[in-house]
Amino acid sequence: MSRRGLKYWAIFKTQLINGFAYPGDLLARSLSIIIFLWVFLFLWRTTYRAVGQERIAGLSLRDTLWYLMLAETIVLSKPRLSSTIAEAVRDGSIAYLLNKPYNFLLYQLSVGLGDSILRLAFNALAGGLLVGLTVGPPPPLWGWPLTLVTVIAAWLIDFCIAATIGLTAFVTEDVAAFEWIYQKVTFILGGLLIPLDFFPAWLQAVAQALPFAYTVYGPARLFVEPDGGRFVTLLLTQGAWLAALGMLLALLYRKGVTWLTINGG
Amino acid sequence: MPAIRAEGLRKTFVTRRKAAGLRGSLRALFHPDRQTVEAVRGISFEMEEGELLGFIGPNGAGKSTTIKMLTGILYPTAGQATVLGFVPWEQRQQLAYRIGTVFGQRPQLWYHLPAIDTFYLFGKIYELDDRTIRRRIAFLAEAFEIEHLLETPVRKLSLGQRMRCEIAASLLHHPRLLLLDEPSIGLDVVAKQRIRDTIRRMNELEGVGVLLTSHDASDIEALCRRVIIINHGQIVYQDKVSALKRRYLTSKLVEVRYAHQVPRDFQIEGTQVLKIGRYGVKLRFDTRQTPVEAVIARLAEAGNLVDVTISDPSLEEVIRTIYQEQAEP
Repeated sequence: MSRRGLKYWAIFKTQLINGFAYPGDLLARSLSIIIFLWVFLFLWRTTYRAVGQERIAGLSLRDTLWYLMLAETIVLSKPRLSSTIAEAVRDGSIAYLLNKPYNFLLYQLSVGLGDSILRLAFNALAGGLLVGLTVGPPPPLWGWPLTLVTVIAAWLIDFCIAATIGLTAFVTEDVAAFEWIYQKVTFILGGLLIPLDFFPAWLQAVAQALPFAYTVYGPARLFVEPDGGRFVTLLLTQGAWLAALGMLLALLYRKGVTWLTINGG
Repeated sequence: MPAIRAEGLRKTFVTRRKAAGLRGSLRALFHPDRQTVEAVRGISFEMEEGELLGFIGPNGAGKSTTIKMLTGILYPTAGQATVLGFVPWEQRQQLAYRIGTVFGQRPQLWYHLPAIDTFYLFGKIYELDDRTIRRRIAFLAEAFEIEHLLETPVRKLSLGQRMRCEIAASLLHHPRLLLLDEPSIGLDVVAKQRIRDTIRRMNELEGVGVLLTSHDASDIEALCRRVIIINHGQIVYQDKVSALKRRYLTSKLVEVRYAHQVPRDFQIEGTQVLKIGRYGVKLRFDTRQTPVEAVIARLAEAGNLVDVTISDPSLEEVIRTIYQEQAEP
């Protein structure tokens, strides 16, 4: 690895060590996924019983619960990026982060990854245990690595969106409203609350045309029904969104820094 | 080549102003009332390599804005500057490899980790190899007397210990210039003294130049040979610290307390009585005319002393004197 690469690796590692500073906190936080999945378990058991079918839109109860397990894991492991960046912009501390020889966005990316990986592991373990014990074994093992690749791509897309929202603080100062909207959109159009397959066709089409579906639904759906073709299509779509959103973010960042250096923190 | 050369640096901010109440908020929404603030109004100075230069002024004088321009975080509205030969706002990253910064109110060490973890991280950020990092940490740990603190989580260190670690961290990459913004803020006298000692030692050992800002004149007096005082964004004084002392730190304030009541017409020769309380008196005297020991002796003669405090005039008073002098040459 080049020395430049090594520096981001070191930032990532330091955040990882930082995560271990409070193991109790890490465990306590993975409790919330158990609560959410517990509620979902009862909700969907009742729904499947009421409908009286083995499968709804091609998904069994077991599929649905494993889908929700991964969806929740992805969302609950996200770093609090928008508010962190917005706060740094608002109180001017972004200026102090800029006087070190690194790229601010890559710094945030490394810190965010270090933060997420631990939580991802703990959430997946806790959630997987609950779902495995209540509705049955996980999807086939061979699909796991494929899923992991798309989870990483999903994480990166989310990073671009969240960082973009955070940087709008240069203009709007407060980003809580945008954060709230993004969160709710992820709930519905991202497929966090309900797999998109259960939606009417037109809403599915809308969701698939937006990037949010590829931050949650895509990987979670691939997980429960792994398939080579599905994997390639998903990854290509994710790549396209990543390129577009990444460019938007880079542009906004450059504008932001110029604004900052003229207007101060 | 000087370490810093600044010529006519200016910085004007445009801020939005809002009148009070709902009506003010609504009006600000459609017709924002913009106000220009001149934070720095044409500053010119030079700093030699390896120099210890004090940069003082009251809060809001423009110290931090100047530092931000010199580190390249802020683009000046007008004027020019070079720092170690770089134009800071155009070559911020290149400059970042060669300067160290400590902001007293913005800790850089990771709060939950032992300082040594941040030291290694900084070493990597400045692209040093492992052996260099290890050797450098060992050297700095000894110089700053922080060997026993390195493995303790930063949150468990005292403010003074933390500040020593902060400064050590900022020197990891062998910078040629150190910008210290209020490093002694919130520290007690003993901790302040230790920080000053380490700064001086590093300046002697490695020849690192130090630009030190503070709102405490005693920091500068103890460390720097030359001082720049700024107020309202302008340089009001620029000379040797010894000259400053000779010209402006000439008066001292004395507060005394007696075991008995003080007469209303209390007088001490060679001093000016500022305030008479029931048991205490506050005086001012000029050290060029009346030596300290003479004042103390006279105060002791006047009655049964319980307590004496002698202090220097505050920075604000010094600035006021400078202004008065400039107004009536």
